Amino acid sequence: MRARISELAKRLRSREISAVELTKAYIDAIEKLNPTLNAYVHLTFDTALKAAEQADQMLKEGDAPLLCGIPMALKDNICTDGLATTCCSKILKGFKPYYDATVWEKLKAHGAVLLGKTNMDEFAMGSTSETSCYGAPLNPRNTNYVTGGSSGGSAAAVCANLAVYSLGSDTGGSIRQPASFCGVVGLKPTYGAVSRYGLIAYGSSLDQIGPLTNSVMDAAIVFDAIKGGDKRDQTSVDYDYGSSLAECLGRDVKGMRIGVAEEFFSGINAEIKSKIEEAIKLFERNGAVIENIRLPALKLALPVYYIIACAEASSNLGRYDGIRYGYRISSYTSIEDMIVKTRSEGFGDEVKRRIMLGTYVLSSGYYDAYYKKACLIREEINREFDAVFEKCDVLVAPTAPNTAFPLNYKGASPVEIYLSDICTVPVNIAGVPAISVPCGEDARGLPIGMQIIGKRFDEATVLQVAHFYEQSAGKVIGDYEGGAGI
Amino acid sequence: MTISKTEIEKLAKLAKLRFSDEELERFTAEFDEIIAFADTINQSIEGGTEQIRNVGARMVSFDDLRPDEVVPSLPNEKILSNVEGYNGFFSVERSKK
Repeated sequence: MRARISELAKRLRSREISAVELTKAYIDAIEKLNPTLNAYVHLTFDTALKAAEQADQMLKEGDAPLLCGIPMALKDNICTDGLATTCCSKILKGFKPYYDATVWEKLKAHGAVLLGKTNMDEFAMGSTSETSCYGAPLNPRNTNYVTGGSSGGSAAAVCANLAVYSLGSDTGGSIRQPASFCGVVGLKPTYGAVSRYGLIAYGSSLDQIGPLTNSVMDAAIVFDAIKGGDKRDQTSVDYDYGSSLAECLGRDVKGMRIGVAEEFFSGINAEIKSKIEEAIKLFERNGAVIENIRLPALKLALPVYYIIACAEASSNLGRYDGIRYGYRISSYTSIEDMIVKTRSEGFGDEVKRRIMLGTYVLSSGYYDAYYKKACLIREEINREFDAVFEKCDVLVAPTAPNTAFPLNYKGASPVEIYLSDICTVPVNIAGVPAISVPCGEDARGLPIGMQIIGKRFDEATVLQVAHFYEQSAGKVIGDYEGGAGI
Repeated sequence: MTISKTEIEKLAKLAKLRFSDEELERFTAEFDEIIAFADTINQSIEGGTEQIRNVGARMVSFDDLRPDEVVPSLPNEKILSNVEGYNGFFSVERSKK
């Protein structure tokens, strides 16, 4: 049985367990399992125990927030003052930020207990977490398979009960796809709903921070705590969600208009397609109206995503020059030589590939043909999503066209790996919210994820539909035996 | 479209990256496939693209910007704490005598 925030919050309040005891149980489990799973790359046990002591004090004083004393993890691209944050890249080796990301500042105020920073694809560029400079995390459900990526360590930590919840970042599916591969819940909020201040940038017009949890209710609880506008992120929006979203869960889907777009199902593995169809039937049996809709521009979403994300990445990653922080080559002949050698040694292959593609699509002669055209098609994709949401409350789709890949899978070229993001990238391009919830297993016992996509700033409906499914579908994946025994 | 090694070298220079001969060989082949993939945006969209001409017209209003006021910032020592051997300056090895 995996830990839930709501249940642990009750046990902490009834003094059945203290935050220090809970934290120690997680530390023991991490010490036992992390050498194999490699979910965490930096451990922060000393600060965790101090935070747990403070949380116990807050709980004793009464009126503590729900997340008080709950042990959790952050992806290694979310800045933590004085604690290593390296984006799992050699170029940021040893980097300790001097400020907290807004999300971490908010969670600290809620009494959160940080166990450590989790493994990820280098600079969040990848779909398997294998581009991490610390080596890949392993999928706790079957260690011969990848966790997905890029927030693979965050998904593995929650799946293996090495954290009650974690935060990840999602530029093209990096929360939802690993959530799907590891059988946990992953929420990508609306672009602007959560501050990106302190999130090390990849594709700034697409990046968004969100939670990975063991239940939809937990995702709502964490989203409630981290959402909101921030002066330090000019793209964030102080949207009025009304009351707590966690308190709004529990409604059914009667009369709800659920859209199904055939474009999301083209090229999808048959077992996954069949599980999503079963879920659609469940919604229909419970009174939802299923609308078959079309999103023709979706077929262009993947190249549009890679052009825009890489263009932004080539600019964002220009700051790594070895002068101000991180790795610096020891031998060079000039400043230019130092910068070029530092970057060439400090970045891994996938990061270099994306910087090069970004440089190419922004370079003179190619800007109009690639970058500008991709921006035009992005507008068309947005327009299609807007039109669809006039007819539907949510869309249902697979999270990924496949279940987890085997580790070190050599059969795929970079482009074949990019194609695995086909179901998730349209959501980032349009800036809409989406959640991945487990909806079954394939013949090998690997989890399958279903995506529920909503209108901008309508996380409430997305979470309500996901919660209804979770409560109605019963047990769809096997339990993970292990982790913190609490 | 086929991209040449010379073009890859030019791009690498712009991106402040350098590749060994072996890397360049591999990278050129991979990059060709990646560019072919990026080229698929030139497929037509059903119903045409006439209605998508207005991109770029979305301007930020000056009213949306925060006031240009000086606010407290972090101390220099803290910001530069990641610079090895910081002594008030960014330092690199002397490369010209």
